[in-house]
Amino acid sequence: MENGFVILFGLSMLYLSATSRIISHIRILIIQGILLFLICLLGYKNTPLLDIAFLIIETLAVKAIVIPWFLYKILKKTNTNRDDEANIPHFYCLVISSMVLLAGFLASNCMTGMKNIAPLYFGISASVIVISLWLITIKHKIVSNVIEFITMENGIFLLSLSVASEMPVLVNLGVLLDVFIAVYILGLFVREINKEFKDLEVSHLSELKDYE
Amino acid sequence: MINLLMIFPIIAGILMLLIRHRGFSKFLLNVYAILHFIISSSLVFNIVNEPQGSYFAIDGVNKIFLIILSFVFLMVTIYNNGYSKHINASNKKMNHYFIMITAFVFAMTGAILSTDLGIAWILVEGTTLTSAYLIYFNRTKSSIEAAWKYVFICSIGIALAFIGIIFLNISSDLNTLNFAQLLENTSGGEFNTFWLKLSFVFILFGFGTKMGLAPAHFWLPDAHSESPSPISALLSATLLNSAYLVILRVFNILCAAGDSFYGRIMLLIMGFLSLFVTAVFLYHIKNYKRMLAYSSIENMGILSIGTALLGAAHYAVILHLIGHSLAKASFFLTSGNVLELYETKRIKQVSGLMSVDKKTGWLWILSLLGICAFPTSILFISEFLIIKTMISDGHYLMCILFALLLTVILYGMAKVVLKMTFGTLSEEKQEIIKENRNKITVSMYIPQVIMLTVVFILGIYIPPVLNEIIKAAAGFLG
Repeated sequence: MENGFVILFGLSMLYLSATSRIISHIRILIIQGILLFLICLLGYKNTPLLDIAFLIIETLAVKAIVIPWFLYKILKKTNTNRDDEANIPHFYCLVISSMVLLAGFLASNCMTGMKNIAPLYFGISASVIVISLWLITIKHKIVSNVIEFITMENGIFLLSLSVASEMPVLVNLGVLLDVFIAVYILGLFVREINKEFKDLEVSHLSELKDYE
Repeated sequence: MINLLMIFPIIAGILMLLIRHRGFSKFLLNVYAILHFIISSSLVFNIVNEPQGSYFAIDGVNKIFLIILSFVFLMVTIYNNGYSKHINASNKKMNHYFIMITAFVFAMTGAILSTDLGIAWILVEGTTLTSAYLIYFNRTKSSIEAAWKYVFICSIGIALAFIGIIFLNISSDLNTLNFAQLLENTSGGEFNTFWLKLSFVFILFGFGTKMGLAPAHFWLPDAHSESPSPISALLSATLLNSAYLVILRVFNILCAAGDSFYGRIMLLIMGFLSLFVTAVFLYHIKNYKRMLAYSSIENMGILSIGTALLGAAHYAVILHLIGHSLAKASFFLTSGNVLELYETKRIKQVSGLMSVDKKTGWLWILSLLGICAFPTSILFISEFLIIKTMISDGHYLMCILFALLLTVILYGMAKVVLKMTFGTLSEEKQEIIKENRNKITVSMYIPQVIMLTVVFILGIYIPPVLNEIIKAAAGFLG
């Protein structure tokens, strides 16, 4: 059952790389948050109930509700709609993302039998991280960069679930909190940048340099 | 005592938020700085015996980092008292400024004292988030660009470091991230060296981003040059160190597990790349605060190279850490004076510093001598020891490259500093500066004088108490 959710999580990245409307990217974030919540819910077994309940609820609250809601507000305030001037056309984006995802699947097949790791989780999360990092480099709007930063963090969260010896819950909670604050601060900066530069193009942010 | 060190800033921060008065916040920040210095000194010099805590503790290696942080923070706070008087900002904004400095130092203290890799990660990311506001303090187009790059690049770097932490978790069955426990279990062959090595690559790159090692250094010149000068001093002299400490601890685990070759190569590559990048960019630098930022990248590179070497180089690394933090903090604070006087960061528009303000002029020159390892600066001893180790280990080529790059950097910096210090000024410029001279108060000279005195005295005489601490930290490096 969890494996199905993990695969869906991987596939959500394909949708992200093939669309230009930022509102659908935010919807994908909600879906990813819910999927992670379900994976967490079904995946945890022999751990203290209270700790896990806290972590699972925080996952749902932060990843599926608070962050997308916050981004949605920013989107409305800054009147941004599309990010359609990516360096690479969407079709090629889709092809490249699919290939990375496929590589993740193949890697997870090779890893069966390895100690301490759940192979499918590992393969998918690695490909999600790679796709996110790659999308950050090709997108033009800074709000898209924030969204891809969050998908990368989601990928890392899944990676931490792939490890048999779990991370201490305190660390996981701290990480979630840090990610949330980071997104909050980035969001504030997005608004400030929009005020200062009138739109959200990454290319504006290249004034500081050593050679003129 | 550690509890007090960690709880006081939280209470102080809440009080500052509630009372919302610029003067009160400034007072509390001063109290925090003094308290921080007293507690750190008593912890470091064993005046009180602290029981080992589960998440925060003082041990052989973090003592030296804590005392550097504490000392620089105290000096920066003294400087800040004069500097903040003339900042033209609202009461609310200034209050936030003091709150964020408190939070920033709190996060750094926590990162240095943490005994657990996970907690250290959270707090290092915490330093990014708290200092973002401080970098954006001037509210200009360039400061928002700098702050954005800083938060974004460092957050991604730190996220990659977290992947390293997950891999470290995979590499053994220990299910712990406690440094001491990890280190204890290295000898029994508990670790899978493949995952351990992979983990170090990610951790070095991730925390290396925060430390300012090339090729992940891009945020550093922007952030250091756009933030107010006291903040630049804190960023350069203390923040980079706390990221370095985490790398050092993980590198130590890698060494103890008996497979440090790849780690050393990686450290050497990143170290030399940092020196190279600095040498290239310093040669034609246009902005003097960016020059100091590049110099920080250079010094982090030297630390990284020293860590990768063996023997006496480790002692040198700790000396270098002390020297760089103090000399660079002094350099950045003095650059604050220059900026107040000339109202520009462009090297072209600054000249005749010595005739404008003798004290600032001398501090500017002495800071250069301190950072460029002019005897008796402690950095002379450290760089000399590193070169000596390279020769005695037979790394002649590496030694030549190291000396060559340092010479180019020295030339680049000296050219700029001399150009700024001497020469003549246009009358129009003199008028502006005359008005600005009363902005520079006594407290904007004293910290630099103290720090530079320490830097130049330590080059001749290291007190036995301090030497013990340095040796303990160097011994930790193996």
